[in-house]
Amino acid sequence: MRRWLRQHRYAAVAAVRRLLAHPFSSMANLLVIALTLAIPIIAASILVSAQPVVRQISVSPEITLFLTPAAAPDTAKAIADRVRGAHQPEIRSVRVVPRAQALAQLKADPTWADALAALPGNPLPDAVVVTLENGPGLAKLADTLAHQWKQWDHVDRVQLDSAWVQRLEAILRFLRIGLGLLALGVALVVLATVFNTVRMQALMQREEIGVARLVGATESFVRRPFLYLGALTGIVASLLAIVISAIALYPLNASLARLAQSYGTRVTLHLPDGLSLALATAVVAILAALSARWSVTRNTRF
Amino acid sequence: MAANLPDNAGSHPGGYYWRYHFIVTMIEFQHVFKSYGRGRNILADINFCIEPGEFIFVSGPSGAGKSTLLKLIGGLEPPSRGSVHVNNHRIDKMPGRARPYLRRAVGVILQDTHLLYDRNAIENILLPLTVVGLESGQAATRARAAIEKVGLSGKEMLNPVEMSGGEQQRLAIARAIVNRPAILIADEPTASLDQDSARRIMDVFRDFNRVGVTTLIASHDVRLMALYATRTLHIDHSGRFSDAKGVA
Repeated sequence: MRRWLRQHRYAAVAAVRRLLAHPFSSMANLLVIALTLAIPIIAASILVSAQPVVRQISVSPEITLFLTPAAAPDTAKAIADRVRGAHQPEIRSVRVVPRAQALAQLKADPTWADALAALPGNPLPDAVVVTLENGPGLAKLADTLAHQWKQWDHVDRVQLDSAWVQRLEAILRFLRIGLGLLALGVALVVLATVFNTVRMQALMQREEIGVARLVGATESFVRRPFLYLGALTGIVASLLAIVISAIALYPLNASLARLAQSYGTRVTLHLPDGLSLALATAVVAILAALSARWSVTRNTRF
Repeated sequence: MAANLPDNAGSHPGGYYWRYHFIVTMIEFQHVFKSYGRGRNILADINFCIEPGEFIFVSGPSGAGKSTLLKLIGGLEPPSRGSVHVNNHRIDKMPGRARPYLRRAVGVILQDTHLLYDRNAIENILLPLTVVGLESGQAATRARAAIEKVGLSGKEMLNPVEMSGGEQQRLAIARAIVNRPAILIADEPTASLDQDSARRIMDVFRDFNRVGVTTLIASHDVRLMALYATRTLHIDHSGRFSDAKGVA
């Protein structure tokens, strides 16, 4: 066991020594891998930051029926009952928002308070907000119902609120698949870069490898330092990529904050959580070690 | 043959078989052929036995197959046909992953010393000990002992490039013997040296042989062979093999 540990220590030291022997070349390789890894990390940051924002908004379509201003006060309740009775299976909830309540809610927002104070009366109509159950063909059903309800008496306007959220969800799904493909591409770049780095290292260490074999080194002994070199490259490049991504998020956040402010909201991009980053680093290290093993096996045949 | 048997050989439960195959014969070639690809046989139908502790020269003109013969003994290459036994192992049947362990028992010195110029003398000698995973303190002691045995004391920290040809050759010998091999093989170790340096190198080999290390040296230096040879394996231009006491 001690002998085995000593050999691993030797391999680890040899890997670090080889990495430091050509600092500029090593740094260039690490930067190439790190910049490549930074792309999916930034993309993942955007995704994980966008997800809570989307979650806050109901993904299920909400249909709001605005009544005519002349409608009697109990008309809204009657329409709500009619909606419930006619489309029970498709509907999750129906709530009535009286015009007074709507005005009170709007007045609570300081940006609207001054404008509303200037008005002589309450300009808002009574409203019925219908939330549909999630299910297949939801968008089509929402359209049909909105069209049908628009024909009812005392209904002035029908607004389908969440179509854009559905679209946003679809975009996020698309981005998730895109991120998966990007990760695959990055994995291939990491494999290729480490493969080539180790190939060059193996060629440079050809003499040492030859002598080691001459004096009885096993193939594991010869390959081990390169495995460590690959894993070390993967770990250092991943850490560098995290730093690069964190730095890149600063200007992105600054410009995003201005955009979000114009919509009266706040969105901040942040890196994925520590566990995810640690997991990603481990995966990159394993990939790089496997690539190194493949390379050294191919390029140092005895 | 009996004179070369160690004192405890007869007490081994293997009896005669053990004595004959595992003690008396250190190296045995039986109908060995070696060719590369579909080319002509470099070695053809070679047969010989070497007992433990022998000091043998392998002679012949360049290209006759001396180096190939040594490579077969060192397990660096397999034979094309025939059987090669080295230090109780049949090399031609040995799986590739087991060969490194055989190489640890055979010290190899090639004509080009294959020293590593990115490290100093002592670090060159430490490499075989690192390969076997020896503890660093023990390894340093053994490396220093090896460097002393070849007469390079005080030059431990020198880079091989700062050494003369003879010193580099002695450093290569120190690296070959540091793992205490049972067999030492050297391919033209004195080829690029003057007579004095060559004799000093041969003295080092003879000293190791005197403590029981079976030694094979490929050379075509007739003067050296006349001085040191007790047995010579000769391969001529046409691949004919002869085995003679003294110089062939």
